[in-house]
Amino acid sequence: MDVQLKRGLLDVCVLAAIKNEDSYGYKIIKDMKPYIEMSESTLYTILKRLELSGMLTVRTSEYGGRLRKYYHITNAGLGRIEDFKNEWREIMSIYQFVCKEETENA
Amino acid sequence: MHKQEFIANLRSRLSGLPSQEVEERLAFYSEMIDDRIEEGLTEQEAVSDIGPIEEIAVQIIADIPLAKIAKERIKPKRELKAWEIVLLVLGSPIWFSLAVAAFAVMLSLYAVLWSLIISAWAAFASLAACGVCGMVVGSAFALGGNGLTGIAMVGAGLVCTGFAILLLFGCKVATKGCVLLTKKIALGIKSCFVGKEKAQ
Repeated sequence: MDVQLKRGLLDVCVLAAIKNEDSYGYKIIKDMKPYIEMSESTLYTILKRLELSGMLTVRTSEYGGRLRKYYHITNAGLGRIEDFKNEWREIMSIYQFVCKEETENA
Repeated sequence: MHKQEFIANLRSRLSGLPSQEVEERLAFYSEMIDDRIEEGLTEQEAVSDIGPIEEIAVQIIADIPLAKIAKERIKPKRELKAWEIVLLVLGSPIWFSLAVAAFAVMLSLYAVLWSLIISAWAAFASLAACGVCGMVVGSAFALGGNGLTGIAMVGAGLVCTGFAILLLFGCKVATKGCVLLTKKIALGIKSCFVGKEKAQ
């Protein structure tokens, strides 16, 4: 997959993984695994980027005698997911146009 | 490998990077390992599941902007003494010009590389143009009655086109290689700043 495209997709996937309830690093990776694979370092970079752009907030809580970081989606993050859905509606209609051309030429 | 070993190893590979950044990342990996252990993996399995340390270190170094790394390295580890400052200022006509010259030499070497590639592309463009012109003008000659000259020109045009096609492959590979090299150089410069402080 195109690198730029995958980067944008991963951002939205991480947001979707914390959309319904706050989540932590390992759980995000596990939840996403059936759909898209990513490494720990990639996740770190994405979380940092999303935090800096105000899409999510981070809180540290104690869990089983150690610290764990939980990520919480903000309204801006929810807005990003909605934007993504709208963008992809457009892209899907373009995709259908492209495929139609193919079948006509075949 | 145990978790502590993993963290210590990674820390030593990242020494020289901004320390706050390093600690944050180490805490992140530590949490990842703990969460895997909790899920039932042994400590060794959890660590090997995270991936090879070298790859992680390289990715982290590539991730942090060069400017941030350089800033961290330039920051003196202790207050400079008065005589050191005087020496730095008095010596500046020498060390500054030497540094500029060294930088200029490197930059020009890099520029030479790109100009070679650009000239290869230019050669490709002229060969392709020769090919097309040779075939068009040659055909015109041949149809106009100058049979032999025309056929010779069409032949020359075909030869040029052949060379152009060959050169196109070479140019593409060379350009790709150069872009790759640029990325490697950037990573190399960063690595110069990182991981040489173990002794301290």
